Amino acid sequence: MHISEGVLSGPVLATGAVFAIAGTHIGLKKIEYDHIVHVSILASAFFVASLIHVNIGPASVHLILNGVVGLLLGFAAIPAILTALLLQAVFFQFGGITTLGVNVVVMAFPAVLAHYMFLPMLGKSSTLTFTAGFLAGLLSILFSSILLGMALWFTNQNFFEISITIIAAYMPVMIIEGIVTGFCLAFLLKVYPEIIPVKKK
Amino acid sequence: MKIQKFWFIGFMIIFSPLLIQANHAFAHKVIIFAWVEKDMIYTQSSFGSKRKAKNCTITVENEKGVVVHEGKTDQEGNYSFKIPKKIDSDLILNLSAGSGHKAKWKISMDELAANPSEQDILNAMKKKDELEKKPSILKIITGIAIIFCLALGIKFLKRKPS
Repeated sequence: MHISEGVLSGPVLATGAVFAIAGTHIGLKKIEYDHIVHVSILASAFFVASLIHVNIGPASVHLILNGVVGLLLGFAAIPAILTALLLQAVFFQFGGITTLGVNVVVMAFPAVLAHYMFLPMLGKSSTLTFTAGFLAGLLSILFSSILLGMALWFTNQNFFEISITIIAAYMPVMIIEGIVTGFCLAFLLKVYPEIIPVKKK
Repeated sequence: MKIQKFWFIGFMIIFSPLLIQANHAFAHKVIIFAWVEKDMIYTQSSFGSKRKAKNCTITVENEKGVVVHEGKTDQEGNYSFKIPKKIDSDLILNLSAGSGHKAKWKISMDELAANPSEQDILNAMKKKDELEKKPSILKIITGIAIIFCLALGIKFLKRKPS
């Protein structure tokens, strides 16, 4: 999911950077004082998640966890994911510095969308929270794959073909992420319900 | 207080296998490594030491960006070819591994002209191993520490006036 250096055109990189800066600005404004620790814990989880590889047959996929980060943090997920991606680029050479903006858009924006889509389901019951987590994990990866395809398409490549390939490649990740996110949310609801955001009436 | 204790234990349960596993997992980066040996250029491509970049396109360009050679890696991520004729600049090898994954390797003119000794090849292999090294636990801990330091900074900036 991390786009490497030298793949995308200048305008795509610039657009990604602008969106990432705007999103980070909004995210930083929306972080509540009492939730800063949650943001750092989830940013750390995202930072480590890409190192966990799951073998599925001959292929090996890695976790992303943008769904759980987005679902729990909303807009605050953007600075959290930006920090984690920057550190991944510097320490592990995942993605790159010039592609940071696009990578933030690809991974963080679907996560924020998942937050607003599934917020009404959170905290109601264990089953509903698990379902919200599962769908958020699954759809975050799906939307991220589509955004990744779009970023490549804007750099003069065949969008349809690439998108289908990417979605097909990430299909196992979608299901795994859905299950992991679902269980994480159900677990957190039991042991630390304060971290679960609830829709204000 | 009880809930916080549970939360801490839960957090440790979730994270400890992640941290242990992380040391054994492979980096999500694409690597192409190339060296010259007797008129041939040998390449090895991977996503980390054990995850070979199979059937990936390798495009060889000169400094002006003109494609002088193209090929595909085999099931082991290897590809070799004869040094193209009439080369008067450095060569840039581009590996395209799909889905936005790309890597580069540059071979200088001097390297193309030289006849490497066994020691040179051994040194090149060491360089390759270094590139494919898994992320160290120290780097992971440093990264997490940086995240928490940044959070402390934000907490300080957002503190409520007493």
